Amino acid sequence: MNRLLALMQREFWENKGAFRTTPIVIGGIHIVLLLMSIFTTAHFDNELYTFREAVRMLAAQPDLFRSEHVYEIMLGTSLFFTIVLSVVVFFYLLGSLYDDRKDRSILFWKSLPTSDRLTILSKLLTAMLTAPLCFLIVFILTQVVATIIAAIMIMSVGENPWILFISSMNPIKVWAVVGFSYLATSIWFLPMSAWLILVSAFSPRVPLLFALLPPLVLSILQTWIDFLRTFTLNSSVFGMIGKWIANSPTILTAQVQDGVGMLALGLPGTERFDRTVTAGNILDRLFSADMLYGLIVAAVFLAGALWFRRRATDS
Amino acid sequence: MTTEAPFAAERTAFAPVIKATGLTKSYGRHLAVDHIDLEIAAGRIVGLIGPNGAGKTTLMKAILGLANCAGKLEVLGLDPRSQRSQLMEDVCFIADVAVLPRWIRVNQLIELTGKIHPRFSKQRCLDYLAKTRINQDSKVKTLSKGMVAQLHLSLVMSIDAKLLVLDEPTLGLDILYRKEFYTNLLNDYFDDERSIIITTHQVEEVEHILTDLIFINDGKVALNCSMEEVQQRYIELMVKPDQAAAARALGPMRESQSFGRHIFLFEGSDRSQLAEMGEMRTPSVADLFVAIMSPKETTSTGGRA
Repeated sequence: MNRLLALMQREFWENKGAFRTTPIVIGGIHIVLLLMSIFTTAHFDNELYTFREAVRMLAAQPDLFRSEHVYEIMLGTSLFFTIVLSVVVFFYLLGSLYDDRKDRSILFWKSLPTSDRLTILSKLLTAMLTAPLCFLIVFILTQVVATIIAAIMIMSVGENPWILFISSMNPIKVWAVVGFSYLATSIWFLPMSAWLILVSAFSPRVPLLFALLPPLVLSILQTWIDFLRTFTLNSSVFGMIGKWIANSPTILTAQVQDGVGMLALGLPGTERFDRTVTAGNILDRLFSADMLYGLIVAAVFLAGALWFRRRATDS
Repeated sequence: MTTEAPFAAERTAFAPVIKATGLTKSYGRHLAVDHIDLEIAAGRIVGLIGPNGAGKTTLMKAILGLANCAGKLEVLGLDPRSQRSQLMEDVCFIADVAVLPRWIRVNQLIELTGKIHPRFSKQRCLDYLAKTRINQDSKVKTLSKGMVAQLHLSLVMSIDAKLLVLDEPTLGLDILYRKEFYTNLLNDYFDDERSIIITTHQVEEVEHILTDLIFINDGKVALNCSMEEVQQRYIELMVKPDQAAAARALGPMRESQSFGRHIFLFEGSDRSQLAEMGEMRTPSVADLFVAIMSPKETTSTGGRA
């Protein structure tokens, strides 16, 4: 256990830029955009008249309306974090068992008394837990700072921010839902993560190519065979991956329909009930037959990665 | 592969540290290691010497569980292929220079090694580092090549291992540090229960600390004996030109000329007979290496005098 924690600490040290600096930059962008919009408003809006009116209108709305909107706005700000997080995790996994082979430091790592199984586990857990946790923490800090700024703005036009929106906020719920969704997403995407680890374990070079080419070639072949004769496969590999992402327990969709904000799990914005962001819907994804098949696929990929890692040296 | 592994705990001090039988590794059609049989006892410092591409590194990688070889191999009673992580608690190695991860800081490296390795002494490592100019906050990538080697050696020397494997450990280091390193290795580190295997091209620097000598050529063991045996078996004879023909008649392994004198290298010859012809001494490892690797070749040195 201590060795696993030490290995995970090593992963954090190595990827500090991706895991710590990146979300801080995103949080910074959020805050800067917020400040810019305030200054823009202040510049064109004579004595903040319009802003004052908008706040008054909001104050006149019922409590429920305000709390629902605040909840959706808060969940919605996680989108940018989530998308960048997925890119960070993708490239982290792709390099996880490749970089040390490339720079030959694998010779040092293999001189330590840690098993290859533990090494792979530390990389997988880093992708599933460490990276999302770092992003979640910065996400929370960003919201705290943004709330303080918004409160100051509202106070400056003579309204009470507590009554107006802070009292109707439920930050713990938002953070719990986002954190829960991150965790569920980590589990949901295990087959993909395992595939990337496998690719990074065997790629002689350019792991990105090896990661994308096989599913691409398979998809083209499937479509082609489908075209030649009505092949019974419903969907190509890419189609399956697309469907998988669409069904993921990740908050990925924010849109406004008839003036009402909407947030949904997965990609396409539909009004289907099982896409709305609730803990139950997130859990539903994990207790599905799809997830079971996904776990089996992930186990096969991880076993392959271990096979390659055991034989890996610098050459 | 090995079924003996579970009984590793029962091994005695006399059990060999390394036992290889028919060890073979091929890359395509090239045999890098060709049916090597080898036994190395505890408490020895073995020099593994061979020309480039002779199979030294492959053999070392096999011992460390980094290369998959055919044949039977046991290191400290364990199978390095399947029990590498367990083996690494008792084995330390520097497989090559500059393989420390470049992104890591010196203090992170020490902390990490301390957390993972049960036999690592942080204090010892800090003591070694204090003798160098390495800054603990530096990242490895900002250190010079020599400093990286110093850092790696400090780490390895601070681990209480039973077997230390060093593949060209002092490449890129200056003479002062190299001397100090080998002195430390012999005085502070080495004892009766530890074994050290060293490969290096700078044979002169290690030959005085070696207890055993192994020559490897074309994947085969060309010589495997203790330094005492070397002293008994091999004789270097320096004779004046008028005695050269007589010495040549005794069938030397090798002949060379230096400063107008003929130098012959004999194996297992009668000492009293040779003593009459000229001056006798034990050949240097480098000369012995040349004689065994390329026998019957005549060279001439020392023309500048």
